[in-house]
Amino acid sequence: MKRFIILICCAAAPLVMSGQQAKLNLDQLQAKASEHLDLNLNATTLQFAAKFLDADDPEEAQIKKMVSGLEGIWVRHFVFKASNSWTQADLEAIRAQLRGPEWTKIVGVKSEDEDETDEVYMRTVGNKMAGVAILAASGKELTVVQISGPIDLDALATLGGHMGVPKFKLPAQKPK
Amino acid sequence: MDWLEEELRRALAREDPPAGFERRVRQAVAQRRFPARQWLAAAAALILAVGAGTGYREYRGRVAKEQVKLAMRLAAASANRIQTHVRGVLQ
Repeated sequence: MKRFIILICCAAAPLVMSGQQAKLNLDQLQAKASEHLDLNLNATTLQFAAKFLDADDPEEAQIKKMVSGLEGIWVRHFVFKASNSWTQADLEAIRAQLRGPEWTKIVGVKSEDEDETDEVYMRTVGNKMAGVAILAASGKELTVVQISGPIDLDALATLGGHMGVPKFKLPAQKPK
Repeated sequence: MDWLEEELRRALAREDPPAGFERRVRQAVAQRRFPARQWLAAAAALILAVGAGTGYREYRGRVAKEQVKLAMRLAAASANRIQTHVRGVLQ
């Protein structure tokens, strides 16, 4: 009987694991950073928090809508004392964790001097979007965002212009 | 005086209460009042517990809300930055 139970558990484990998104390991960056922020919000916390988000407030209503179908949000934000404290090797260690069959790199932008690196990875399970990972590194800061569940990236980017976060604007182009 | 009159006189004769009667009556009254106090205390404790529970839930909710807002703010800022970065490269 014991053997049978163990066999069933072993057989079911990959099925259970396939639905979950593993949290990225970023311990090597934490050791270098002068400041770091770690936010771990699972589905229970998200749904609980959603009850307290004001539907009459435009920004909070938008967040409420966005988090309603999510299974988790993990944010790691690092601030370093000096520029380029993070290396390409650090980024490669993160990329290595996003090389599974479920992950696809959808955006990858790097500045010429490699001072800025922005990457977006999408996770798909059975032709359905199951999450995203955002890697944004510039100067003294590095942010890794992992969202488990379907998310509209355009809506998320639009949200960047609200909530006191200034929307990034491109400098006006010089007439040719 | 016939026997009936004699019986009635004996039955209705004035009699002093036994020793400690007053004390026992007062004690019984006091004991009767005590359960009411207990109920009151229990009700007050219940109201306090429910109030504290609701307050704590409210506090936890506010903390969770702020955490979600902060997480979304950071995610949104990163997404917005990347979108701008991409547009800059494409232009």
